[in-house]
Amino acid sequence: MATTYLDITNEVLRELNEIPLTSANFASAVGLQQFVKDAVNKSIFDIANQEPQLPFFSAGLSGATDPFYGNVTVATTAGTRWYLLKSGSSNIASDYGSIDWDDFYITTINVSGESAPYVSNGLKFLNLADWKRFYRDSENADDADTQAYGEPKFVIKSPDSRKFGLSPIPDKVYNIHFYAFEKPTKLSAHDDTIVFPEQYSNVITSRVRYYVWQFKESPQQAAFALDDYKKAMKSMKSNLINPTPRAMTDDRRYF
Amino acid sequence: MARSQPYTVACDGGLVKSANQIDLLKTPGVARELRNFEVSIEGGYRRINGFAKFGGGSAVQPTGGATNILGVIPYGDGVVACAGTGIFFSQDGTSWTNISRSSVASSGDNHTAFTGRSTLTRTGQGQVSFSIFEGATFDYGVLVICDGANKPYFFRMEGTGAFTSRTFFSGEITVTSSKFATHGVIHDKHLVVAGVEDNLNTIFYSGTLDPTDFTSTGSGSITLEDQVVGIKSFRNELFIFCENSIFKLQDINGTPVIVPVTKNVGCLSAYTIQEIAGDLIFLAPDGLRTVAGTARIGDVELGTVSKAIQPILTDLAETINNFIISSIVIREKSQYRLFYTNTSLNKNQQRGIIGTLRPNGFQWSETRSLEVTEIGSGFNENGIEEYYHGDTDGYVYVHDSGNDFDGSNILARFGTPDYDYGDLGTLKTLHYLKVSASAEGVVSPDVQVRFDYGSTDTPQPPNLFDLGTIDPPSIFGEAVFNTNVFGGAENPLVRIPLQGSGNSNNFTIISDDSKAPYTINGFYVDFIPSGRR
Repeated sequence: MATTYLDITNEVLRELNEIPLTSANFASAVGLQQFVKDAVNKSIFDIANQEPQLPFFSAGLSGATDPFYGNVTVATTAGTRWYLLKSGSSNIASDYGSIDWDDFYITTINVSGESAPYVSNGLKFLNLADWKRFYRDSENADDADTQAYGEPKFVIKSPDSRKFGLSPIPDKVYNIHFYAFEKPTKLSAHDDTIVFPEQYSNVITSRVRYYVWQFKESPQQAAFALDDYKKAMKSMKSNLINPTPRAMTDDRRYF
Repeated sequence: MARSQPYTVACDGGLVKSANQIDLLKTPGVARELRNFEVSIEGGYRRINGFAKFGGGSAVQPTGGATNILGVIPYGDGVVACAGTGIFFSQDGTSWTNISRSSVASSGDNHTAFTGRSTLTRTGQGQVSFSIFEGATFDYGVLVICDGANKPYFFRMEGTGAFTSRTFFSGEITVTSSKFATHGVIHDKHLVVAGVEDNLNTIFYSGTLDPTDFTSTGSGSITLEDQVVGIKSFRNELFIFCENSIFKLQDINGTPVIVPVTKNVGCLSAYTIQEIAGDLIFLAPDGLRTVAGTARIGDVELGTVSKAIQPILTDLAETINNFIISSIVIREKSQYRLFYTNTSLNKNQQRGIIGTLRPNGFQWSETRSLEVTEIGSGFNENGIEEYYHGDTDGYVYVHDSGNDFDGSNILARFGTPDYDYGDLGTLKTLHYLKVSASAEGVVSPDVQVRFDYGSTDTPQPPNLFDLGTIDPPSIFGEAVFNTNVFGGAENPLVRIPLQGSGNSNNFTIISDDSKAPYTINGFYVDFIPSGRR
């Protein structure tokens, strides 16, 4: 059973020898109890800000809709350079929290009307400065003139961080696959669930304790709690982000 | 780690209602609420005993029905109770004999003759004042009954054998024509009565060593300027309490003289007047006062002893006509108990106060759910003091006995003042509480914690903290098989883990059961200061 907002709040309250809340009085909590509730959200945001690509923030299951790499798929349109990272998102507050810009993939497989030989390549991330310096002018000229376009080789990030761009501008429909990570949603109701596996709830609680001990003007206890948090965070990262053998990769093969 | 700090409180001072919450920070040992507890003469606060029907499971009402008990007093080897229009005697509470009889022979009746006499109806009998003239040769003395509606009535029983083998004397006493008397007292060989019909400012005294005759040698009367509320014999003087003044009668066997004590203080009810520890205590409009004999001959000192519970007594004084007042002194506990019963209220709302005389004066507590329409005490034939009270159900009860209120739970609450632990501005997280308690049986009270004077802005623990089971002590030579529990300490310190934080907090010990009494001696609180935000 997933850990709820009430569970994690009460876990901290009990640790601090404070009065636990109930589902009945959770919404009307006052004083320290309300502070702990707030600190739980703040701690989850801290963790997400520090490590936005933790697996449980993933925007979707990898390969759920397509056998290819990635959890988000965007279909290109011939002649269109920029695409919203999160379809339907109206502003940055509802966009994805993080994008793995190093893992964009372009393919024509599963694109209607396409047949072998297919396009199936990784997209190299190109920073805006290089793109503007080497490609923008020629691509814009092509767009205004012959509209030859081409098969995208690079992915670029829009300055407002809301869109990805392709270079060259796509000449037809491709499927772009990439990995995106959601922002954590602020917890509100007592039965809102924490996205963290229960095993890592101590990362949240130690961070909350850090804030509460500051509130209680006990810097020594806060320091202990911060140390707990750092250790727990390190373990979680080690387990969830870097569990695979480390190896050096020669990126020159992309050129 | 934040260092926890200790705080120790000894329970002392009793109930205090006349101090504000900041004042009370300086007196942590007192109680803000002390209901159905009494201040123990050994220190601490003890849950009171209960009461049980006189006659136990076979008890019957003196009149056979539910009617207010108007008077009750131990007499001889039994109890005399007044109710309805009769006066009743019982040795065991399972059957009552109406002892209000007409035409009893002056030489006495045997049981058959006595119970064969027609009953003397005590029409309109009110709250009763008893007095006992012991005499030189009487087995149990002469019991005189003044009821404020009929002529005083005397009853004397002789013989120590079976009740049916005894001789009975009784009859009405004529004070002046057919007038009733309200109060009677034995003072220096005389029966003195007051509140006599149409003579409310006159006291009458009987002949010397002749309490049933107000015309024989030594009898007389004295008229005062004020109406008499009550009278009480105190040492060699008779104190006469009026509504706005107090007098004392001196030299009743010589040349009686009335000496004014005060003309600024009066008494609200004769039924509040008691003698305790060398003082007369009575209810004045401004609280309970004592008439203390001083070292100087003929001098007295009027002192208020109830300042700590002044609001309670002010309320009582302002509405005293709504209540039936009765009081008693429990000598073995150095206690004065005052009950004020409003018969239109539910039993659970009936109230009383208990004052225990401690080395530094009276300390107070309250009773609740103890309905008392009349209470009386006296010594039985073995010289042991007994206490009885009656209620609106018409039963007579053994007072201060047992662990329940005639089968009902005793709801007892002892609330401490808020503790600020020396600094009201610092947030404190409570760690644990140790309660020093002495149990007289297996008991299991609970503790309630309230932070910041019960503020709704501070999270309050929703549940009571369980004090656990406290076993009675097992002391070699004293422990009783199947009663005491092996290993029970005499004054155990019971540890209760606590939760919550606040700038101040109080504790309330609560029990609502029919278990044995227990005494709370004090507390040890372990808390962690947690900042000044």
